Amino acid sequence: MATTERRRTELLRGVLDLCLLAVMQDGPAYGYEMTKRLRARGLSIVGEGSIYPLLGRLERDGLVETHRAASNGGPPRKYYEASAEGRRRLADGVSEWRAARDAVDGVLGPVETGVAS
Amino acid sequence: MSEFVEECRREWKRLRVADSVANEMAADLAADLAEAEADGASPEQVLGSGAFDPRSFAASWAAARGVIAPPPASLDPRRRTPRLRGTIAVTALIATILVGLALFTGRSGSTQVAVAAPVNVQPVPVPQSPPSAGFRHFPLALNQHAGVLLPAFGLLILLVGVVGLILWVIYWSPWAEPIRAVRRRSSIDDGPGYG
Repeated sequence: MATTERRRTELLRGVLDLCLLAVMQDGPAYGYEMTKRLRARGLSIVGEGSIYPLLGRLERDGLVETHRAASNGGPPRKYYEASAEGRRRLADGVSEWRAARDAVDGVLGPVETGVAS
Repeated sequence: MSEFVEECRREWKRLRVADSVANEMAADLAADLAEAEADGASPEQVLGSGAFDPRSFAASWAAARGVIAPPPASLDPRRRTPRLRGTIAVTALIATILVGLALFTGRSGSTQVAVAAPVNVQPVPVPQSPPSAGFRHFPLALNQHAGVLLPAFGLLILLVGVVGLILWVIYWSPWAEPIRAVRRRSSIDDGPGYG
């Protein structure tokens, strides 16, 4: 189980920033809201990392813009949205991801996934 | 969960993150965790394995944001200690070389005095036969013996010092930093977090 989670974490490591930029396209979101959007699309962040360091890196690299605003009945939150550079990076990253996914599918696609006897 | 946030605060303070930034991160984190709890979500669903290690989580987040203040060079023990150790090592090696050189070239007088001490020892006269030449020349013999040993011993110390200095230059000197960097690169740990 630990190996499965570790592999999943490794696979996500290179694309989670794209996933965050993608869910920001639905509108500005704060940290936990992005977690909920990811989960709604089938991606649960239960592994070895969290999105906060990644959001920090995106902010440092100028790929997201932030502002503080009141949330629904709660305290003011920090909202993130993709910057112009972030949207460009997302478009490039999605193309790279699809190319890599197709190449890997070409290799792994024919493999039977049943338990070997 | 407030304990988790307080642990993060302490870590940010230790890392000398600016108070305004630390307060902002703490407020966001506390609000997110409170909302997750209200939703029935576990902290792990929000923080991953960082939920079990607040200090590591806090350090990872601050590092990713680039808000950790670099420590002054004079206060950074990781820089100061190797420099001090290097100075001590070089001083010791140079001292070893000098001592070896002095012994090798025969300029040390103290050994001569110590070895010459038996000159004052009066040989016990033996009636049957006069003191042997060997007895009379005993101090001289010792001096000759020491004269053979000391340069060899000096040469040995000299070689040890020179080899030590060469090894220091290759592996531990400031000029060897690229070599150490290559050795360190293999043990870099990304730490927690996808960032």
